[in-house]
Amino acid sequence: MALQNTPVVPSGEPGALAEIANSRVQRINRPEITDQSQIDPVVLLFCPEGAISRSESGFIISYKLCKGCGICAKESRGITMVPEYTGPAGIF
Amino acid sequence: MSKVLITGNEAAALGAKLARIEVLAYYPITPAFPAMERLSKYIEDGELNCRFIRVESDHSALAAVLGGTLAGARCYTLTNSQGLLLMTEVVYHVAGLRQPIVMGVVNRALSAPHSRFPEHGDVVSQAGSGWIQLFCENNQDILDNTIQAFRIAEQLRTPVMVNYEGYLQSHTLEEVSVPEQEKVDAFLPLKRQPALDLTNPKGVNTVTGPEFYPTYKYKQNEAMLEALKLVPEVAEAYNKQFGANSCGLLEAYKMEDAEHALVAMGSIVGTARRYVDEFRKQGKKIGLLKLKVWRPFPVEALRKHLQNVRFITVLDKNIVYGVGGALAADLKAAFYGTNDMVINGVILGLGGGKCGLEQLDQAVKLTESDETEKNRSAWIAL
Amino acid sequence: MLDYKNLPQEELFGQGHVGCKGCGAAIAGRQAMKALGQRTIITIPASCMATLGGNNTRTAWKIPFYHALFECAPAVASGIRAALDIQGVKDVNVVSWAGDAGSADIGFQSLTGAAERQEHIIHVLYDNEMYMNTGGQTGSQTPLYAATSNSFLGKQVRKKNMLAIMEAHCIDYVASANIAYPEDLMNKFKKAASKQGFSYIHILAPCHRGWGIKPEETIEVARKATECGLWELYEVDQGKRTRTYEPSFIPVADYLKAQGRFRNLTAEQLADYQKAVDAYYGRGE
Repeated sequence: MALQNTPVVPSGEPGALAEIANSRVQRINRPEITDQSQIDPVVLLFCPEGAISRSESGFIISYKLCKGCGICAKESRGITMVPEYTGPAGIF
Repeated sequence: MSKVLITGNEAAALGAKLARIEVLAYYPITPAFPAMERLSKYIEDGELNCRFIRVESDHSALAAVLGGTLAGARCYTLTNSQGLLLMTEVVYHVAGLRQPIVMGVVNRALSAPHSRFPEHGDVVSQAGSGWIQLFCENNQDILDNTIQAFRIAEQLRTPVMVNYEGYLQSHTLEEVSVPEQEKVDAFLPLKRQPALDLTNPKGVNTVTGPEFYPTYKYKQNEAMLEALKLVPEVAEAYNKQFGANSCGLLEAYKMEDAEHALVAMGSIVGTARRYVDEFRKQGKKIGLLKLKVWRPFPVEALRKHLQNVRFITVLDKNIVYGVGGALAADLKAAFYGTNDMVINGVILGLGGGKCGLEQLDQAVKLTESDETEKNRSAWIAL
Repeated sequence: MLDYKNLPQEELFGQGHVGCKGCGAAIAGRQAMKALGQRTIITIPASCMATLGGNNTRTAWKIPFYHALFECAPAVASGIRAALDIQGVKDVNVVSWAGDAGSADIGFQSLTGAAERQEHIIHVLYDNEMYMNTGGQTGSQTPLYAATSNSFLGKQVRKKNMLAIMEAHCIDYVASANIAYPEDLMNKFKKAASKQGFSYIHILAPCHRGWGIKPEETIEVARKATECGLWELYEVDQGKRTRTYEPSFIPVADYLKAQGRFRNLTAEQLADYQKAVDAYYGRGE
């Protein structure tokens, strides 16, 4: 019998979900930053994934976390949604 | 140790007070409420440093106590029958979360029809809950078991129910020896193990898939089975510390040469003891097995004492519909494959019904007659 | 104006959560945690929020988080507060964060009990106006005429006014909030955290699946709810009521007709809605 390695109290590790984030599977379009100076910093608070952060050089989008919901592009200038997949279209 | 004359409810409240509980929540229900009121009085008189949460339902009572335990406090609550059934969801949840809560259950019959009289129907419904189930013969047992329960629960990380019957035990005055507070403090050192800890945050009770759930359940069961070893150890340590006379998993009374054994738990043990003494005067070789621990079911201990007995009468103050008495069913399962003694389960005392010497006599005679039904419990004293 | 330079950088909730893209609940959670900070313990009953928060051995939370049973999150929070209190642990926010079922319906008993006791906790109702975690059924917080997964004909009775009910408990703080107004929301959380008694915050957090809108429209539709007047942003601080945002009064139709769940709204029903809003704000008299 193979027992899993579990804690005594059923629980999960903090922040551990972000390590295996594979948000790309939900992405049909992805946000691209077109103009840093036009971005409204409110997108930091509108992103459901916490994928947008700010550094010295400006806003950064984490594509590990981004699911491509499009809220940032809709609520702010300077970000546009582009298709995730630009190869040949299938017949589905 | 000092001696006092107190009711079962007062004994339970005293046990919790000596254990220095820190968070208390309860919802009043008959016949447990005097114990609840006693605890509130201890708090308001300044004798017990405890936070009381005046919840709005029994379900919330156990939920609030669970919150307290998760945040690292020693907690206690009381309930019975309808309240116990309302909080059943939380009961199973607490055991799965491995939280060391101690709960006093003042056994009472279940509705419908509505009854307020003593019986084990309510605790039997929690047989599979994962809580360790202790039973008390008298008020001394109630006090002793309550104190021991905290040590057992905190060591095994398994919650414990201390069962005693409504009115027969909860409202009846008996002489009880009370241990000193300092000695109880030494017996129950507090070691905090909060699951919700700001210095070590975790996400408790995440949605769990089939890869992990069976492991959690297996480990929970293993911890419960550890109690078979731990309960006698704790009882021995208790007796040594306080000069008490608490039993381990069970107590054998006049069983050395017994041919017929009574097996019982709860207040009926007291009646059974008298019956054994009376019947022995008539030359019958009868003995009594008092069960203190019902969950986990002490199979080995029972087998040891019952291996040479010809007749076993199991006294059940409960009914599992379609099956019979719960204790009888457990016992018969435990003796599967062993020699062919006669195991007769009898159901008596339901809803406060008669369960005196006369009824025990009927039961014992039935076991030894040819009319014993092999597969069902017999109803006595309808 | 929000000081974005000094916004806490740490993401105490949300990164890697397994919810849908564009989840309104996740936005609400992120904004709230920016205001509440690290010394917070949160308990969440069965809901989308509890489910997307983690599974098996991983969670999206960086603070102590407990997935409670459905009906008793405020009771558990009361217990947590009592335990912290007796251990002398102070300056900790104890939050019970529930959806509409866990606060207004199955969880209502526990909520009203905790509020009546003036427990030192914050209860948050994140409102997507239906039981989304089980597929989107009708609940007490579903608005009039809205279609849901178990009622295509639409709800025939009004949304239960939870804010008024909680105000009637005379608790320290009651506030309505909206994820489209993050500064207002965060101020309200800061105020609630400073209270010694019970605080209640009711956040409108649209769920694009349930409301029949596109994921990117989540914030826009939430904004329209307040701008048309239906979701008033106000607070009741120690009994004193203040409106915290003056709406621009766009037509109610702009908000309702933008959502799939109101697609069967008749002109008469729409007119009823507009009349009700106008009467509430004393407009056109």
